[in-house]
Order: sequence, then structure tokens, then C-alpha cells
Amino acid sequence: MFTNKFNIWFLSSLLISLLVIIPILTVSFSFFEDTSRYFDILKKTFLFEYIFNSLSLLVGVLILTFFLGVGSAYVVSFYKFPGVNFFKWALILSFAIPPYIYAYSLFAFFDNYGTAFTILKTLFGDGEYNKSIPKFDGMFGLILSISFSLYAYVYILARSSFLYQSQNLIDLGKNLGFSKFKSFYSIILPAARPAIVAGLSLVAMETLAEFGAVDFFSVNTLTTGIYNAWITFDDLAFANRISFFLLLFIFILFLTENLSRKKAKYHLDTRGGFKQKEKIKLSGTNSFFAFLFCFLLFFISFLFPLGQMLYWTIKFPENFFDINVINLLLNTLYLVGLSSLVLITFALISNYGNRVSRNKTLNFLSTLSISGYAIPGVILAVAFITFIAWFDENIIKSLGFLSIKKLFIGSVLGLIIVYFVRFYSLAFNGIKSGYEKINVSVDESAYLLGYSKRKTFLNIHVPYLRNSLLFVVILISLEIIRELPITLVLRPFNFETFATTAYISASEDMLEAAAVPSLFLILIAAFFITITSNYILKENNG
Amino acid sequence: MANNFLEVNNVDFKAGGKTKVKNVSFSVQNEGDIICLLGPSGIGKTTILRTIAGLEKINNGSIIINNKTISSKKIHIEPEDRNISLAFQDNSLFPHYNVEKNILIGTEKKNKKKIKINAKEIVEFLNLKKILNKYPHEISAGEAQRSSLARALVSNPDLLLLDEPLSNVDQSFKEEIQVELKQLLSKSKITTIIVTHDSYEAFYLGSKCGIILNKQLKQFDDPYNVYHFPNSVEVVNFLNRGILIPAKVTSENSLENKDLGTIKGNFVKHYPNGSEVKLLLQPEDLEHDDKSNLKLEVVDRKFRGTNFIYTLKTPSELQIPVFVHSHHIHQHEIDEKFGIKRPIHIDHIVCF
Repeated sequence: MFTNKFNIWFLSSLLISLLVIIPILTVSFSFFEDTSRYFDILKKTFLFEYIFNSLSLLVGVLILTFFLGVGSAYVVSFYKFPGVNFFKWALILSFAIPPYIYAYSLFAFFDNYGTAFTILKTLFGDGEYNKSIPKFDGMFGLILSISFSLYAYVYILARSSFLYQSQNLIDLGKNLGFSKFKSFYSIILPAARPAIVAGLSLVAMETLAEFGAVDFFSVNTLTTGIYNAWITFDDLAFANRISFFLLLFIFILFLTENLSRKKAKYHLDTRGGFKQKEKIKLSGTNSFFAFLFCFLLFFISFLFPLGQMLYWTIKFPENFFDINVINLLLNTLYLVGLSSLVLITFALISNYGNRVSRNKTLNFLSTLSISGYAIPGVILAVAFITFIAWFDENIIKSLGFLSIKKLFIGSVLGLIIVYFVRFYSLAFNGIKSGYEKINVSVDESAYLLGYSKRKTFLNIHVPYLRNSLLFVVILISLEIIRELPITLVLRPFNFETFATTAYISASEDMLEAAAVPSLFLILIAAFFITITSNYILKENNG
Repeated sequence: MANNFLEVNNVDFKAGGKTKVKNVSFSVQNEGDIICLLGPSGIGKTTILRTIAGLEKINNGSIIINNKTISSKKIHIEPEDRNISLAFQDNSLFPHYNVEKNILIGTEKKNKKKIKINAKEIVEFLNLKKILNKYPHEISAGEAQRSSLARALVSNPDLLLLDEPLSNVDQSFKEEIQVELKQLLSKSKITTIIVTHDSYEAFYLGSKCGIILNKQLKQFDDPYNVYHFPNSVEVVNFLNRGILIPAKVTSENSLENKDLGTIKGNFVKHYPNGSEVKLLLQPEDLEHDDKSNLKLEVVDRKFRGTNFIYTLKTPSELQIPVFVHSHHIHQHEIDEKFGIKRPIHIDHIVCF
């Protein structure tokens, strides 16, 4: 119904999608633009290395996050053992650690004369410990940093999916005489496949767009290539072209996965068939190993970087007084509040517009618009600057108006706009997954009860989506608290957040000074996660 | 025609761009009438309801209520402005409201008409009192269906559309609801269109029944006529309440079958003598008689509580159903011989 109907919802939704699509189109059209000599230089020198490194990083992170995320989700969803209720939420705390802070901690702990050395020296006295302390830098360190920071995406989505699996499925496996392992890989795992793939796709996009940790470990990836193309050669077209390849690569990867599913359905119609799962109680060695696995994961992913930052803050208390914590906190929360408001409002309107319009073109545009998440923040920031400069020069000035550059570049407004493009997919998909749980006949019932579309939206959808909205706000908040490249490029003069302060100190080789802002960043993010953990763990079953 | 309460004139009903039922015309004469649309699953019955409710548009024909066109190629009154209620087959309850709020939301509908049905009465009749505080995800499919029905009823519509309203309701409770629903609808004079695939439900509830087969409304008539005077072989096959056997017309009130001999009765439609026809033989058309010399072999026996339906094999391998009261003095086992009373007389002879 309502096909081709140009109502206000359709138009709003169309406008929002087009707004988000502009940078994506900029990136795509760059394919036909001329590039500088940098491309020739790069082709002859490091391009292969960039691609190889990006692929190695992606494969390494995907494998590790798959095992960590699915493994931990399986253990806490299907078994009872001491501490399981604690680990259920504690394992999502790793969200509070951005990959670059994990990288600082990893490097600092295992560095020559680093924290590991100090611990060994304190315990066993002087010695040549540096030789026997493993070094986690370069590609290996990068894979570890990103994986331990991001595995929670896979954990949350896989766990939700496991949670909604009916006991009937498990009983069916038993009935067919399957071992626990066979039940896991032939019934439980395939049924959770869409959720796991959704988690891995988020990890993949974050990995390819990662800037802070890649920069810290000096690994040459396509992201570094993009950054160099812009900074060193001022060749935005080529930077865009590399980004386009990144987008294309991710698209092909997940399209292949999607096609391989064919027409298989992965969720059960719960009407008359859902049976609550009974957790299996572990005892003895099994219980110990389940506990150990979860504890080690929690320790390595959260306690370890938190401890390292805390250690440095205590060891070098003078750094604490060098930064204005209140100011950084207010700046961070200001960005979080404004961005959340803008993202939630627009994503809600866009979702509802899509739902009532049922227009294929709009649906396609919305799908395209959410791919902004896969574009590295650096590229988005640069594309934005270029667009504003062009618009200012060619449109505004030619019309005789004053320059608008200052309004958008180096301003909070500019930051919010680019955050909007970057994180729109999070907001859109988060709300969409809430919407998918509302049967279309619910809307139709409302219309038949005399509700207008506006009233249906405000009285039926918004109250129902309240929890999804809260979840999306938290996700956006976490992303913005941790966000680095966009803030770094577009922030107003003298406007710092915890993330930029930490990065600047680390890039000046003052890792100890990076500890204080990093610690606050972790604590605020952890606070956000903790207050909403119950919801995060229930929601978003994909 | 102009004074009919509802008129559907030459409408093609479409869903998802595909025509589901073509060139449909029927009318509901009086306010308060109940009509039932019968047909196999997926045939387009729901599409007809959705279109009348305004959830789908039409490109030809018209739908008129109380002399006002609500759908045509040029006119489409939005669903929220039609005062038509549709109780969906699946769970369409608002997930964030409890059952009580879900039902009462129906009473908030802007309605100039005098309230016909009271919510309390509906809650009692549909046995929903115990689940009023529960949320949709906490109740069974049958309870959700009853709650949805209650919401549609209390909204006091001009036209009530019920899509398989009792498909998820327990059999034991179903008959009780059917009786009370019929009484309630007739008392409150709410015009209702019910879609079902259960012929017994349709015959009981509807003052008229429409049979939809092969993208067409094949027959629209009183339930009695639909049952006894089906107008096509397709309707006979759909109702599955008899078989067609070959016969030859021998006079204006008799015909001859090779296995059963002479069959007498009143022809519904005239056929010239000597015509080869297919005679509709329904289970209640033949009578059992132990003393009869026309004996056929029992190949199956179905116990239906108040009666048995025997399936008998004729010498030319036809399988004929015969209805026998379950209090009949003795039962016949498979392979036994079963007597048919002669001469055979059928009240209305339906042939094709």
C-alpha cells in the first residue's frame, strides 16, 4: 500500500538518505577523477604492501574476534558455572577500550623496561628480562589490539542469537544422537549465522577504518595510504579511490556471504514453538576451564589496559594536573548529546518513512546510505572539508555572501555533520532492528483504528522503540567518546576531547601522559556500558 | 442495487502487484448481515479484506458503502477514515500495551455512531478476563487472536472484517465462540465479512457465502444453496462433500447409473432425455437398508461422533460415501456387504 505516494514521510526519508549519501558518492565518483603522480609512485612501491597488510589485518582480526566472540557467547549462554552472571556483562566492558588505547597498553607493558619488566624486577630483582619478554608490536600487536577491543560486537550479537534459540533445537540435536560438539557446529552455530556475520561485518568495517592503532604501530595499510595521499600529496581523489576499494571489498565479502545463504531462514517463528533454554550446569574441570576462559578474556580485554593506564596515572600523578578534566568531560558529553539527538531524530524519521512508503528506490538509497560506516573517518573528514571549500568558493562567494567555511570547518557544527554521516548506519540499523520486531499489521491495525500516520508514529512506534532508542544512544555515545580521526581533523581550535588529548600525547611519544585521558575515557565508556548492560544484553538479536 | 449496504463491483483484487482475484462483484444487502468468504489458503481472501479496509488500492471497479464510494480507480479513502475494522489472522496487537489497553484502544476511535458493543461484555464473552494484564508476548496465539477480535468489535465499526478469526482457537472453545459471536453480531447489527477456509464455520455464521477458486468468485449464495446446489464442479471438489458419478438422464425426474440403477428426484437444472451427465452424490443422498438387494462392498468407515460415513465400492470401482447415524443397530466392517435402500430418491438432483 501507499506505493509511490509522495507523503511528508517519504520526502523526509529521501532527503536524509541523500544527505548521508553525498560523501559516499564523492568517494565512488573519485574513481573517474585524475589522480596525482602519487598513484604511480605508490603502484611501483608500496601499494601491494598496503593491500597485503590490510588483508592480513582483516583476516587476523576476523578469525580472532570470531573465536573470542562466539566462544565466550556460547559458554555464557549455554552453561552455568561460577561467575557466569558477572561475565555475561563484564565481557562487554571491552567496548570501553578503543583499539588505540589497547595498543598503547600492549606496547607499554611489553616494551623494553616497560611494565612487565618492572613487575619482574620487583618480584625477582635485577635481571636481563627484556630478552625474554615477548614483543607485541607491528602487525601482531595491531591484530591483538583491534581484536580484544572489538570482539564484543560478535559476543553481543552471537549471545543474543543463542539466547533466542529454542530448547527444541538443542533437544532435536540430542534426539538425533549428536554429540555436544556436533550439535554446536551443525545446529547452534548455523542458526546464529546472521547475527555472527552482522557482528563480524561491524568488526571488519571498524578494522579497515581504524586509524589510531594502525598509526601507532606504524603498519602500512590502505588507511595509512589514504592518510598519506591526503597529507603528503594533497591527492584527495586518490585517497577517495582507495576508500572506494575498501568499500567495494567489504561489500563483495558480505554479498558473497548473503548469497551463500540462499533462501535459508535463520529465525524461528516463535508462535507455538519456542521453548526456554535450560542451561547446563558445569562442574569440576569443565567448570574451572569455562571460568578461566571468561576470566582471561575479561582480564586481557579490559582489566589489563585499565590497569596499565591506572598504573601510569598513579606513577606519574603530575600528568593529572596538566589536563583540564572537567573541560574535556564537558566537551565529550557535549558532542555525545548533540550527535545522539541529531542521529536519533533523523534515523527515526528515515526508518518510518521507509516503512510507510515501501518504495524500492528509497529502500535502495537507505541501504546505500548506511555504508558510510565503512568509510574511514579520515576520508569523511577530508571529503567534508573539500566539499565545503568547493561550495563556499563556487556557490556562496559567487552569490556575494560571506564565506561559510568558518561555520563548518573547525566548528562543532561541522563535527556533528560528519559524525552524522559516519554513525548514521548505527542509528539507522539499531532502530531498524527494533522496527523489524513490529509486525506491519500493527501499523495497519492502528490506521484501521483511526490513527493517522503521525499518531501511529508517535503513539505506537516511539513508545515501543524506547528501548531500541536507548540502545542506539549508548552505541553512538561509545563511538563518539572513542572517535579519533574526525575529531582530530575537524575540531575547533583548542577544543579537545579525552580521545584527542590521549592521541596527541601518544604521538609525541609521551605514552605516560596519554594515560590520564585514556583512563577517563575508559571510565566514562565503562559507566555508559554498565548502566545499560541489562538492555544491551537483551536487545539487538539481529 | 443502489440501496445495498455494501457493493463490490467488478473489482480486481491485487496484492504485491499480482492479481489475486479477478472481476469480483457481490453485495451485502442489509446493515448487520454477515457474509463469509470461503476458499483454499493463499487464494486471495485476505487480499479482498485488506482492499475493502483500504490497505490495498484498486485499479478497476468500485467498492461502495452506504452509497459512498470508498475505493475506485480515482478514489481511495485512507484506512483511518473508513471506520472499517479488520481483525488480522496473525498477531497484530500493539506489543508495548497489555491486552486490556490493546482492547480499550479500540474504543478511542473517533466514531459518531452510538456505541453498540461494550468492552466488558466482549471481554467476558471471549474469556479474556484472566489475561487483561498480560502483554502480547506472554499470551498464546489463540488468546492473541481473541484479543484482536475483541479490539475490532469494541471499535464499533460500520463494517467489521474478520480474517480467519477462530483459526487459532481451541476446537472445544471454537463452537461456543461461534454461537456467541453470531448472537453478538446480530444483536449489535454490525455488518461483517468473515474469511475462513472452514466450510462449517462459513455455513453457520454467514447469511451468504462466497466461494473463491481459481482467481474467481465462483458462487455467492445462501449457505444452503452453496451446499446443496453448487454451481460448478470446482465448488463440488472444494467442498469435498460428495462425488460425481456418471449417469444418463431417462426422464424429467429420473436418471440411470450402471451400478446404482434408477435414481429419482427433482432436477435443479433441466437436461434432455438421453443426456450423459455427472451426478453429484452426497453422503446423505443414499439410505442404508440391510434388507436391500443392492449391496456394495465397504472399503472404509469413518466415525464422526453422531454418524458414520461409509465408503462403498461399486462394481465399476466408484467409491461412494454414505451417511449412517451412529446409533444404527449394527456396524459394518471393511469388506462386508452394505445394503442401499431402493428405489433411490434424491430431493434435488444436481448434475454437470
